Amino acid sequence: MRSIISILLLAFIAWGIVTVIGEIPFGTEKSRVGGHYVDQGREETGASNIVTSVVLNYRGFDTLGEVTVLFVAAIGLGAALATRRKKEKREIEPASLVLYTGCRFLFPLILLFGGYIFIHGHLTPGGGFQGGAIVASAFILVYLGCRGRRISETVSKTIESLGGLVFVVVGLVGLAVGGHYFLLNFLPKGELNTLFSAGIIPILYIAIGFKVGSELAGVIDHLMEESE
Amino acid sequence: MDDAGLFSGGPNPILLVVVPLGFAFALPLIGFVSKKILKYIPVGVFMFNLVVALRLLPLVLKQPILVEIGGFSPPFCINLVAGPVGILFSALIALAGLLVAVYTLVYIKEGPEEKYHILYLLLLTAATGVVLTGDIFNLFVFFEILCISSYTLVAYVGNRAGIESSVKYLIQGAVGSSLLLIGIGLLYGLFGTLNMADLARQIVSVGSSSAFIPMAFMITGLGIEAAIFPLNSWLPDAHSSAPSSVSAILSGIAIEVGLYAVVRILFTLFGLSSFFLFFVFLGVLTLLIGEMCAFSQNNIKRMLAYSSIGQIGLILFAFAIATAYAVTGGLFQMISHTLGKGLLFLAAGYMIVRSGSMEISSLKGMGKRMPLTALAFTIGAFSLVGLPPFIGFPSKFLIIRSALAEEALIFNILIGLILLGTVIEGAYFFRVVQVIYFQKENEHQKRHEAPVAALIPMFLFMIAIVAIGIYPKLVTGILDSAASELLDRVDYIRSVIQ
Repeated sequence: MRSIISILLLAFIAWGIVTVIGEIPFGTEKSRVGGHYVDQGREETGASNIVTSVVLNYRGFDTLGEVTVLFVAAIGLGAALATRRKKEKREIEPASLVLYTGCRFLFPLILLFGGYIFIHGHLTPGGGFQGGAIVASAFILVYLGCRGRRISETVSKTIESLGGLVFVVVGLVGLAVGGHYFLLNFLPKGELNTLFSAGIIPILYIAIGFKVGSELAGVIDHLMEESE
Repeated sequence: MDDAGLFSGGPNPILLVVVPLGFAFALPLIGFVSKKILKYIPVGVFMFNLVVALRLLPLVLKQPILVEIGGFSPPFCINLVAGPVGILFSALIALAGLLVAVYTLVYIKEGPEEKYHILYLLLLTAATGVVLTGDIFNLFVFFEILCISSYTLVAYVGNRAGIESSVKYLIQGAVGSSLLLIGIGLLYGLFGTLNMADLARQIVSVGSSSAFIPMAFMITGLGIEAAIFPLNSWLPDAHSSAPSSVSAILSGIAIEVGLYAVVRILFTLFGLSSFFLFFVFLGVLTLLIGEMCAFSQNNIKRMLAYSSIGQIGLILFAFAIATAYAVTGGLFQMISHTLGKGLLFLAAGYMIVRSGSMEISSLKGMGKRMPLTALAFTIGAFSLVGLPPFIGFPSKFLIIRSALAEEALIFNILIGLILLGTVIEGAYFFRVVQVIYFQKENEHQKRHEAPVAALIPMFLFMIAIVAIGIYPKLVTGILDSAASELLDRVDYIRSVIQ
């Protein structure tokens, strides 16, 4: 009985989604907002990656919110795990020499790649979230391959906080400079397609990259502690 | 910074969101310097927010303030609409946040306190963001922050019941968020914009049948957070197993913010008026079920949690009548519920600490053991039931009067049912008050009052309840213009898109 109701409910939801999607005129240039971003985005923000111009400039406030969502999730996980008693340490078998050396060799390269992705967020596909996730993947590699190595919680917490604060403070500086626009792009937009362009966007993306990287690494750290 | 934030003579409303957010990010850094000052930061932040909101209140009564973020004009940017509704709720959130933060100074002594304060700050920041934003996706983002911080705060105590109810809340809340997101996605597909005013403008021009399905998704999704029947099965567990300071915020602020979002979407985004009879019935049903379940509880916090469901039903009923009078009544009832339920949870919190049990029968003799806390509980209970001279009386009276003004037979029957709900409400609250004052305890215990820092916020809640109860004109002016902002969608659209 229960499963029949669930299936009917799902079918109803699916029907609703399909009906509405059927009415959406795909492939036409209907959206005024989207058209504006595509036509004016580069000029108005100085970022040659239009996605970035939307994510960090037109809708930068949402991104601040998304950064906060991740922050809340990481803090919440910490709070939920902090109430549990620490288990006894298990015996850990060290990884083989090949794995150990391979992980240590790859670690800085992955960090470099992550950094490249978020520093060039306004020029090429990718950005702070993606770069941060790559940075965190470097840490997970070390955690899996070189058991026993740990990131310092103090350092990761500091980077996390500073990343969020930089976002807020840059926004407030925009408010102070521009009169009444929070997150105003107050820096010179520079020449399109160069590293030093798009005003505050690279600064924000670097802050996000560091924040996301340290946050995800912290999450992994918490969960590894739990599994040992 | 303060001077730079000046905007048409007052502080910029964005500060209400950004300053608490900045402090939440900074809290771990401040924790390195000193762990002891951490708990004072929420107090300071919400004091700041309260001052800003109160300074903005007279300005927005004249004209809503449009905040364009990033320096672009709507619909290309995200904008805040600081009208009477937004600033009224911001002030209410800041007030409740401030008083509960003072209570927390002595109440929260164990566990990962630093994380508690961060989550508490973010929960209320997100609530402020939801009521101020003028962008539907931004509303979703703030809603996510609000929900995720609620899930973890419910599990803060770390016992089995807390984690279980938190997971239950998490699963239902996640389904709700997904439905909301699907609804927003469909709307964006149909209209190509996320700005609420822009959407509202275009939804008039399209037949409401294509808009109905996204609306149903969004209202169902938000209905879970707003605890509208039958989407509220998470609430009693979650609100009763959270620490009492968190319960006060979840009951007093979080579900009301959910209901605000429902009302904003119905009124402003879709401009519906013919479908409201459905919500009238749903409101009365939610009210009756909440009150009847509350009546059968032996656990004081579960009783209060079910009572919140009943109150939400009443508020939904008021909004669904959709006349200026009724919406004013609904907003009034929201204030009344925040103050009353906040006070009840704070008072119950220390009674539970002293008696060591959440059973109502264990509260025997509390009238002698902790007279001030017992008095606070009694005033909160009387106010929620709707006795004069407390705030619950004018707010309930306004709702009943606006329903009577409809002059339809169906409304007379519904008013009868609502009064029946109030009688049940009175019965279970008086039963607790009777246990507190008139039942003899088994062994005599010495007087042991709650600490001063917990009594001060209770005392301030009491003052607010009595002051507005005796002199409702303190708030009715603001409520009137808030109600007209909610009902006048043409004006809302015009204030955003020139």
